[in-house]
Amino acid sequence: MSMGRPMKSVRQYELVYIALPDSTEETLNDLHQQVAGIVERFGGTIEKTEQWGRRKLAYEINRQREGVYVLEVINGPGEMTAELDRRLRVLDTVMRHLIVRVDEDLAIAERARTRRKTATAQRRVRRGLPPEPTETELNRRAEDNDDLDAIPEMGFRSERGER
Amino acid sequence: MSDYDKDRGGRGGKKDDKDKSARRTFFRRRRVCKFCVEKIDYISYKDTKLLSPFIPERGKIQPRRISGTCATHQRALQQAIKRARQLALVPYITD
Repeated sequence: MSMGRPMKSVRQYELVYIALPDSTEETLNDLHQQVAGIVERFGGTIEKTEQWGRRKLAYEINRQREGVYVLEVINGPGEMTAELDRRLRVLDTVMRHLIVRVDEDLAIAERARTRRKTATAQRRVRRGLPPEPTETELNRRAEDNDDLDAIPEMGFRSERGER
Repeated sequence: MSDYDKDRGGRGGKKDDKDKSARRTFFRRRRVCKFCVEKIDYISYKDTKLLSPFIPERGKIQPRRISGTCATHQRALQQAIKRARQLALVPYITD
């Protein structure tokens, strides 16, 4: 956990906000600029911005059934999130927002992936195979997995019918 | 006793009319954790398609005993669903 942490911690956050459904290109731009301004002030950077566009909401928020979703992936210090949170709450063009720290979970996922990869490679080498699966093997495995995938699905259905 | 232990360790599949209570008599498929099988390491709240099979009609989170998800992944799944709910990507409740 504590290994390799820089002095001033830079963390990765995902910010998703939902703007009003009738937001124009202009208001969205303005929102983005405001977010960028705060991020900059805290010495962070915006890694990428994704516009999901107009989406139906799963439930009504402020009497609205739709919203414009925007995702920003931000690298920056923790103090920044408090400020972003405060500002986004005040803005009435933003119906809702969520800030999630992602670097740790992504690192865990990455570690799990590499661990699995090395374990597979070691196992294969012990069996006298090349460390990476060959094309034909991959194809064969895809066929095997076909019916494996079907099992949990069918499990759900039969159990639900039971209740 | 030994019979009981043996059965619990099994794959929870076959019809067993000998000694099991009524709830065990219907045919049960072997349940496997979807995320373990498909080697999904990170369950993102943004991925509605991934989450939706675990949200039955009512909008509740499907319990582990039904979906067969392992404890680790159920925790991650729970977290993801709750985040998705805040963003109105999935419902809190539906009637």
